[in-house]
Amino acid sequence: MIRHFLQRLLVATIRFAAAGIALLALVEFSFVVPGGSGHHVWQVESYGLVPPELAPRPLAWGELLRERGSATGRVLFLVVPTVLLVGYGWGILGARLRRYRVASLLAAPFAAFACTPGFWFVGLVAIYSYFHWQRPGFAGDLVVERGPDLLAWWNAAVVALPVAAAGIAWQIRAVAAVLERETARPWTRGLFVAGANNEEIFYGHALRRAVPALATLADRPLPALLGGLVVLEPAFRYPGMGSLLVESIRLGSYPGVLLASLSFAALATLATFLRELAVPPPAA
Amino acid sequence: MNANRRQSKPARALLHLAARLRRMRRALLLAIPYLLLLGWLLSGGGKGDLRPDELYAARETPVWKAPDREHWFGTTAGGADLFELSRRAMAGSVSVAVLAVSLGIGLALLAVSLSVFDERESRFDWIDRLARALGAIPGLVALAILTGGGGGGLGLVIAGLAMVVALPLCPVLTAWFREGEAGFDILAAGVAGLSRREIVLGRVLPPVLRRLPGVFAALVPAAVLAEMALSFLGFAGGRLSVGAMVARGQDYLIEAPWMAIYPGLFATAVVLVLSLLGWRVSVALRTGPLPLVLQSP
Repeated sequence: MIRHFLQRLLVATIRFAAAGIALLALVEFSFVVPGGSGHHVWQVESYGLVPPELAPRPLAWGELLRERGSATGRVLFLVVPTVLLVGYGWGILGARLRRYRVASLLAAPFAAFACTPGFWFVGLVAIYSYFHWQRPGFAGDLVVERGPDLLAWWNAAVVALPVAAAGIAWQIRAVAAVLERETARPWTRGLFVAGANNEEIFYGHALRRAVPALATLADRPLPALLGGLVVLEPAFRYPGMGSLLVESIRLGSYPGVLLASLSFAALATLATFLRELAVPPPAA
Repeated sequence: MNANRRQSKPARALLHLAARLRRMRRALLLAIPYLLLLGWLLSGGGKGDLRPDELYAARETPVWKAPDREHWFGTTAGGADLFELSRRAMAGSVSVAVLAVSLGIGLALLAVSLSVFDERESRFDWIDRLARALGAIPGLVALAILTGGGGGGLGLVIAGLAMVVALPLCPVLTAWFREGEAGFDILAAGVAGLSRREIVLGRVLPPVLRRLPGVFAALVPAAVLAEMALSFLGFAGGRLSVGAMVARGQDYLIEAPWMAIYPGLFATAVVLVLSLLGWRVSVALRTGPLPLVLQSP
């Protein structure tokens, strides 16, 4: 057990290091070669204090990261359980009712919603909120100073909705595909001939045997979900890690770009590490 | 007529072609609406380089018009018809996406083909390891850094999108090659004395290539959305794109909200049609599940 843990930890560390090196190379290349910047990622003077445009009051990088991270954490708290619950639940239901092609039907509303550009959708919410509810439209328009900050949860939910839609649509189809592949194996016919009914075959055998394959899908959509935040947070003027990344890119602030992108990479690596701890990856 | 008469070579070739076309009839039928949509988008009237900065520039006396029978989506502050602009902007986004996805698929195929002739069991391991390590970086994060840091040229957008498409596609292609090599006929071909090159080029590669149009059709809508997102953030240069139109339209949210609403509605309709067609094409070609490359439907 400890050996397995240490092995996975080492693999996760190597992966994160590789992602970090790739991000450093990407920042160096994009800002210096086509961008024409004179600052290099290895120069100490490229890493200054937090620019005033990134924080309304003087903050250290760590404090800014904590502040923005907690805002993004709120969005992920809504997105990740929703994607997993709806994705797995409806995917299993879709596979169970595969003869009626229910999986595609269940995924269709989410897939259709995922076709709307998310930045446009959050703008629509802001317009509607302003004109019809007489409330501040974008997330940055009002700050709650006293009492429970319910507005923060509303803002997080607006950002979370388009991000979750694409993840759910993908998860439903992926889960259903894994289960349909499992139920199409020859042993199911054997069980049917032996007298087992559909429920018994599906829930008692196919689902049980497909658990490892299903578990490998748990962390797959996370990088794409995190990528969605990069567009949606600035579009809704939500002060999260995605906004930090975009604002830092505009300002040419290397520490902001690296902190935000490395945080996203660390989250994705952590999710993979946890999944691999629970379910070891299949041998290549 | 003698039924046993041997057919001439051109006749056999024609019959062979007809049989192949018949097998591909579903995909071909789906290609017609796809091409019609692309043709309609690309046939947008007007010529010249349109810049959102000029079209949406604030004026002392704006001449915008709300949506009416003449201008379905209304007009910009400069009086330009928003429907035509949206159509031209979508044509640009779709063209960029088509080019980037084609390049990305080509790159992935090239990377996989570096190892495909190798006979060792571990030949694809480096690709899988690289994809797993770099897969931790969200595609849009990498795209935003590349295009935003680099000043947002068209070449950067296309190259970035191609890289983001290619990287997660490599493990899919390696899985398809492995799947193709696992068949009994491949084993038999090896025993019969066919070289590795003959087996790969003649037996393994064709089924992989047949699935690629499905990959292309499924990825184009996601790439269109990504291109629009980059232009919304201002990272795709000063070109006309729906993202840039929505971003500029948000400056007039109170006075002229249609400028931010209708271009997005148009983009949603086009992406919806593209993704429906893409989904049907990938089902018809049995592409199978693809990784969630970008924020895609």
